[in-house]
Amino acid sequence: MSTAELDPTLEPTVGDQIVHGMEHEEEDHRMFGFIVFLLSESVIFLSFFVGYIVYKTSVADWLPAGVEGLEVREPFINTVVLVSSSFVIYFAERFLHKENLWGFRAFWLLTMAMGSFFLYGQAVEWMGLPFGFTSGVFGGAFYLLTGLHGLHVLAGVLLQGIMLGRSFIPNNYQGGEYGVAATSLFWHFVDVIWIMLFILIYVWQ
Amino acid sequence: MSNASLEVAPQNLQPQPGAPDNWRRFFSFSTDHKVIGIQYIVTAFIFFLFGGLLAMVMRGELITPDADLVDRTVYNGLFTMHGTIMLFMWTFPMLNGLANYLVPLMIGARDMAFPRLNAAAFWLVPVFGVILTLSFFIPGGPSQSGWWAYPPVSLQNPTGNLINGQSLWLLAVALSGVSSIMGAVNIVTTIFRMRAPGMGWFKMPAFCWTVLSAQLIQLVGLPALTAGAVMLLLDLTVGTSFFEPSRGGDPILYQHFFWFYSHPAVYVIILPIFGIFSEIFPVYARKPLFGYRVVAVSSLIITGLSLIVWVHHMFASGTPGWMRMLFMITTMAISVPTGIKVFAWVATVWGGKLRLTSAMLFGLGGLSTFLFAGITGIMLASAPFDIHVNNTYFVVGHFHYVINGAVVLGFYAAIYHWFPKMTGRMLYEGLGKLHFFLTFVGINLIFLPMHPLGLLGMPRRVASYDPEFAFWNVIASLGGFLLGVSTLPFILNVLSSWTQGEKAGDNPWRAIGLEWLVSSPPPHENFDEIPVVVSPPYGYGSDEPLIENNAKELASEYS
Amino acid sequence: MQRRTIAGLAALALADLGLSLWMGQQAYRWMPPQASAESVLVDNLFSFMTTLGSFIFFGVMGTLLYAIAFQQAAKYDASDGPPIEGNVKLEVVWTAIPILLVIWIGTVSYQTYDHMSILGTITPKAMGTAVESSTASGSSPINVYARQWAWEFHYPDQNIRSTELHLPVNQRAQLLLLSEDVLHGFFVPAFRVKQDVVPGREIAFEFTPIREGRYRLRDSEYSGTYFAANQTNVVVESADDYQQWLSAVAAIPATPAQNVAYDEFNSDRNSTGLAWETVKPAPAPMVNYASSEDDSHE
Repeated sequence: MSTAELDPTLEPTVGDQIVHGMEHEEEDHRMFGFIVFLLSESVIFLSFFVGYIVYKTSVADWLPAGVEGLEVREPFINTVVLVSSSFVIYFAERFLHKENLWGFRAFWLLTMAMGSFFLYGQAVEWMGLPFGFTSGVFGGAFYLLTGLHGLHVLAGVLLQGIMLGRSFIPNNYQGGEYGVAATSLFWHFVDVIWIMLFILIYVWQ
Repeated sequence: MSNASLEVAPQNLQPQPGAPDNWRRFFSFSTDHKVIGIQYIVTAFIFFLFGGLLAMVMRGELITPDADLVDRTVYNGLFTMHGTIMLFMWTFPMLNGLANYLVPLMIGARDMAFPRLNAAAFWLVPVFGVILTLSFFIPGGPSQSGWWAYPPVSLQNPTGNLINGQSLWLLAVALSGVSSIMGAVNIVTTIFRMRAPGMGWFKMPAFCWTVLSAQLIQLVGLPALTAGAVMLLLDLTVGTSFFEPSRGGDPILYQHFFWFYSHPAVYVIILPIFGIFSEIFPVYARKPLFGYRVVAVSSLIITGLSLIVWVHHMFASGTPGWMRMLFMITTMAISVPTGIKVFAWVATVWGGKLRLTSAMLFGLGGLSTFLFAGITGIMLASAPFDIHVNNTYFVVGHFHYVINGAVVLGFYAAIYHWFPKMTGRMLYEGLGKLHFFLTFVGINLIFLPMHPLGLLGMPRRVASYDPEFAFWNVIASLGGFLLGVSTLPFILNVLSSWTQGEKAGDNPWRAIGLEWLVSSPPPHENFDEIPVVVSPPYGYGSDEPLIENNAKELASEYS
Repeated sequence: MQRRTIAGLAALALADLGLSLWMGQQAYRWMPPQASAESVLVDNLFSFMTTLGSFIFFGVMGTLLYAIAFQQAAKYDASDGPPIEGNVKLEVVWTAIPILLVIWIGTVSYQTYDHMSILGTITPKAMGTAVESSTASGSSPINVYARQWAWEFHYPDQNIRSTELHLPVNQRAQLLLLSEDVLHGFFVPAFRVKQDVVPGREIAFEFTPIREGRYRLRDSEYSGTYFAANQTNVVVESADDYQQWLSAVAAIPATPAQNVAYDEFNSDRNSTGLAWETVKPAPAPMVNYASSEDDSHE
């Protein structure tokens, strides 16, 4: 919604009203900008997905010598945890919207725990794999994709930590919750990317 | 928002003509889009001169058939860095500078949506500029694999060092991508959300349409380049084998990643220049932009089509026949929305009352070189013909007609047109006309001979060539030296006018546009009150006012 | 529009057409000699595109120059021009005509490419493995080895190696393009053919020489330091001369071939002046017959 549609005679002009109006405008700007950024970020992952597909369908020796395939059970558990955490973070946002700060913090912390569990699971899987980053095209593509995604999960958990900290500042979330909304949107983004990744790497073997 | 009680910054923070202490603003982390715009433009122009200097040495080498001026490795570094600097340090930052300066003013906003992000995006530019410059001085020299950095050549790393010209190059390009994405998010948000009341999409100037279209391409295309660059960097430094054929990698896949961005990138470059032409011709012909709505929408059509033509850079590569034919068709299609714009400009100029000021001359010159390049472009789109001239000087001639033809001429047109607005001073017309003639002659002398050279089979990127190519190369080199010299009247003009030029009023060209309603230079927050737009742009010859006058009455009611 | 205007425009269009057709004829002179069947097709296509392109260029530039010459504002006339915002009929015409022209050029191009039919199969090849293949006619294709920075041609049936490519006139030449290291480009301007040589792939490539002579083969895909020096000659000769060459060369023992890159590398590395590290050239090809840079080419 642009200012073009606002009736200029109805604009608030002084004091609190203008501050609130401007804040709301700025929040909308920032959310819009963040969504634009996420759309661009998704193209990086899409590019790597395309690369993965091209390699898998054209390279002669796809899997490194001695490797039969990837274990799916643990990554599947990780997937369930990560996807569920999207619901958990959604509930946290609902609590915040109803101004229930402790409800918000509890579910927010739970999201962070689930995200961390995912990262831990990823690290455990990596350490147990019989191939490395430089083991042919498969090794490179696998670690690149899961590594980039893992970095995004880590960033998400860190952002959540910052938002959690800020929730202890008095009155911080009175006027608006842009930071929380953006972090939450980022988390859903990370989730969707993971689902695509999981299907591409673990299901399509 | 449109409120007289908003705090206005003290007057000494804006660039007042003549005041000696205001120059510091341009070296600071200012969040004012007008300062940032000028920072981008000046920084970019300095790198333009540096990249041009490299080209002068190249033309010096090529004036004789043998590789007798510099070592072959040096020549290869020269052409690589010439291309890299001209694209990443000159063209993209310069266009961001123009967009930064003009878009908020043209849409009636006080600044960009994210002023601090804006400043951060700018300050990355000197950083990666320094990295690229430093790469000349490290062991092994700068990257020597061409601005495309195709593997396996780009992976060969003769010094064996971890920090080498190629890895610095990749780092610089990655930072450039980050800066560009930051800018794109900012500009797209600004245009979508901060247009003045009354400025619907079809009341927005064509320049803003083209900038929006260009930045949308950046958002979708740049990440693909980043992906390819990351994989190349990993191959180079860590030992992965994405593109290394001896270990199962695929060098052609790199080409796809690279061109998926780098083709649309050329539209990122030309679209704002189209926008400049669309702004210039109406003013100096005193006529509306012909077919404004269609011209506006054609920008978005070009954006869409630009994403599906990239394989035309790979017609002679390891691509199968069906792929070549498919992309030949899409590439030819993109000439249609582009042609519409060219015809629209000619129709704008036709029947008008022309004033051949420097800005107009540069605009017309840019239009002519673009017309020529567009025609050779359609030829290149034809795959069987391209197979003959791909990687020859024919291609080099074609794209230089666009980029040091239309783009540079368009840039100069923009400066001659908006310099008074930016600085409050007029540029000297006489020097401007001299600048135009030297530049236009120079461009044609250096780049026209490249077409027969390519047709006869002279490859590009060569430090030496067979003697039968000498004749056209001598002419091209002389043209190149002339082109180098042609920048001097411009530099002289800008430097002297900025401090001593005749003072400019708000609207020295009697142009129609929101930026011409404010003082030259504009006040810190651009508009005392945000204007309310009531008519479409380019209302020459009609009596419609651009904005509503009762905005003033409203403000006084509430103050 | 007035009849006079229509007549005037028609005359200008005719003049434009005449000039463009002339340009189309000139286009043949800008090209190298037509040494292959493909070159005739490509030159015709180029001439056609030059004619069309000239027509557009002169038409648009003519209009623009006329406006610049005769439609400048009078010195003290500060008024605006007519407020013409568009003309739907005109805009439809100048959208439709380019669409038709593009379809025309595209169709002619497609037919030309199809007719040329120079690109064969591209198959993956593990680097370092031996090459085995045969052509439809039963004889082996000539193996073209591209290296940093010399060309080597291997005739498997006669088991001879040469750095100069010999081909019989009026017979379909069949090649197999192989790179030992980086990307290269197989480019013979006189034949109007070009194909990148991709490491890790075998690319089947073919064309038909129609004119005897010696022509230049140049590396067209940037391949490193001595890229510009990676050139050699192609000799097209009568079938008899070709057979004679094959038998004569088979008797010559293999020796390293003169190689511009190799020579420069070994002589320049001690020179003063700025130079950076370079990849070492591949060892000089061991061939039965070497091309000579002293031979003239067309």
